[in-house]
Amino acid sequence: MKNLLYKELRLSIHPLFYPLLLVCGALLMIPKWIFFLALMYIFFIVVPNIFTMGKAQNDILFSVMLPVRKRDVVKSRVMSIVLVELLQLLIAAAFALLHAVLYHQKNFLMDPNLAFFGFAFVMYGVFNIIFFPMFYKTAYKVGIPAIVAIAAALLFATAVEFAVLAIPALRELDGMWNVGAQLWVLAGGIVLFVLLNMLAYRISARRFERVDL
Amino acid sequence: MEFWQFSGLGIDRDELIVYIQYAQYIRKGIVMSILTVEGLHKRYPTFHLDDVSFALEPGYIMGFIGANGAGKTTTLKCILNLVQKDAGKVTILGKDFSENEMSLKQEIGFMFGGVDYYEKIKIKKITDVVRRFYSHWDDDLYRGYMKRFSLDENKRVEELSSGMRIKYSLTLALSHHARLLLLDEPTSGLDPVARDNLLELFQELIEDGERSILFSTHITSDLEKCADYITYIENGRIIESRAKDDLIAAYRLVKGTKDQLQGLAPKMVAYKVNAFGFTGLMRTDELSKNSGLSVEPPTLEEIMIYHAKKEANYEKPAV
Repeated sequence: MKNLLYKELRLSIHPLFYPLLLVCGALLMIPKWIFFLALMYIFFIVVPNIFTMGKAQNDILFSVMLPVRKRDVVKSRVMSIVLVELLQLLIAAAFALLHAVLYHQKNFLMDPNLAFFGFAFVMYGVFNIIFFPMFYKTAYKVGIPAIVAIAAALLFATAVEFAVLAIPALRELDGMWNVGAQLWVLAGGIVLFVLLNMLAYRISARRFERVDL
Repeated sequence: MEFWQFSGLGIDRDELIVYIQYAQYIRKGIVMSILTVEGLHKRYPTFHLDDVSFALEPGYIMGFIGANGAGKTTTLKCILNLVQKDAGKVTILGKDFSENEMSLKQEIGFMFGGVDYYEKIKIKKITDVVRRFYSHWDDDLYRGYMKRFSLDENKRVEELSSGMRIKYSLTLALSHHARLLLLDEPTSGLDPVARDNLLELFQELIEDGERSILFSTHITSDLEKCADYITYIENGRIIESRAKDDLIAAYRLVKGTKDQLQGLAPKMVAYKVNAFGFTGLMRTDELSKNSGLSVEPPTLEEIMIYHAKKEANYEKPAV
């Protein structure tokens, strides 16, 4: 698996995507913005590009010809995208901290706090559980899986924003420093993210094994 | 006292080692075939790979021939699990392939045509990725083949000619001491000189009796030069799989007049009628002596063409 991940980082993921993560993270410095949107740029740019570039470069045939199992090819790809997502969250977290320190004003929508990141984990999980199984059904159609997964992630983020604003019981999840309850959301989000990714890998691997290359 | 002195066989250690190696060689050579394919089935909407079976022993080259679309690539892909087979069993080096996929892939080198992946990337970088996957990767051997094939590591894949791509692909397959080489059309797209060099290399590779090569091709003259065994597939079915000389001996090309054709037609694999009479392919054991026909040994190409003609006659029109 180490070798396949090396292959992903060396050949499949273009190095230009890493500075892009930095730029997207910096979007959290925009005052009074919709911060979920900043974290979604990887759905619009990074993920579809990695997969379409893979298609153009015949990545799947190259990968399955290496001494690995078909399901390992899926595992390494899921893991590398998860790695990109984690890197994005880490960078965004640094900017969120800066945001909290620099601006002492409330945002219209949810502040980039611990609960926000908990929900962001779930949003990435939702994207992955839809995108990967749909993609590996054919292992070449990227468009529809990306659109459906982005739509689901958008719906989830919108629902969270409105719930936190509209439901009084969830109010304490807003604001920068109500750490107690927010920490629970973060922990729950991480657990759900892990579970959704494991499920996404299992379904995708089973589907990919049935694909004739 | 060491055990070989104690054994009372009256042989010294070096002799014992030679005997053990010999015993292993016999075991590998006789008991264990390097590749066995049994009852492979794969059904597509318009094509059916039907009960494909053959075996390859260590130290031999098997040519896998058939027309375009006969099922050569599909069979090779089924062997490697790239295409999911509906039924059948593949055994490599005595082990079931599906159960030992990871370890057996270390022992196999394969190529499907030339390199057509990561075309904008320098081959140095591709090698750097590939070599990590093989526990027996041999850098000296790799450099040796790169030099022999005059391949420049700093070139991008797109800058290589189709012959060069095949050579690079072969270099990758050979540099990890693969014992079984599965090559899909390695010679097509090469010029006659390069093809001849490649065939010589194949001969050289199997000389030590440890390695075997299965290569598919539709260029039958390649096989006349170097194959020991021929497996012939037509329309998803194996027509013949045996030693090349036996295969050629089993058929005869017969020529005769139109009058002679009357009684012979049902006995023949297929025939063509021309202005002077007919030319057809017949099994040697069907041939009666003193028939007054002109009889000569066929080439592999002729065996292939007449069998294809027979298959085509069986097929119903599409509409």
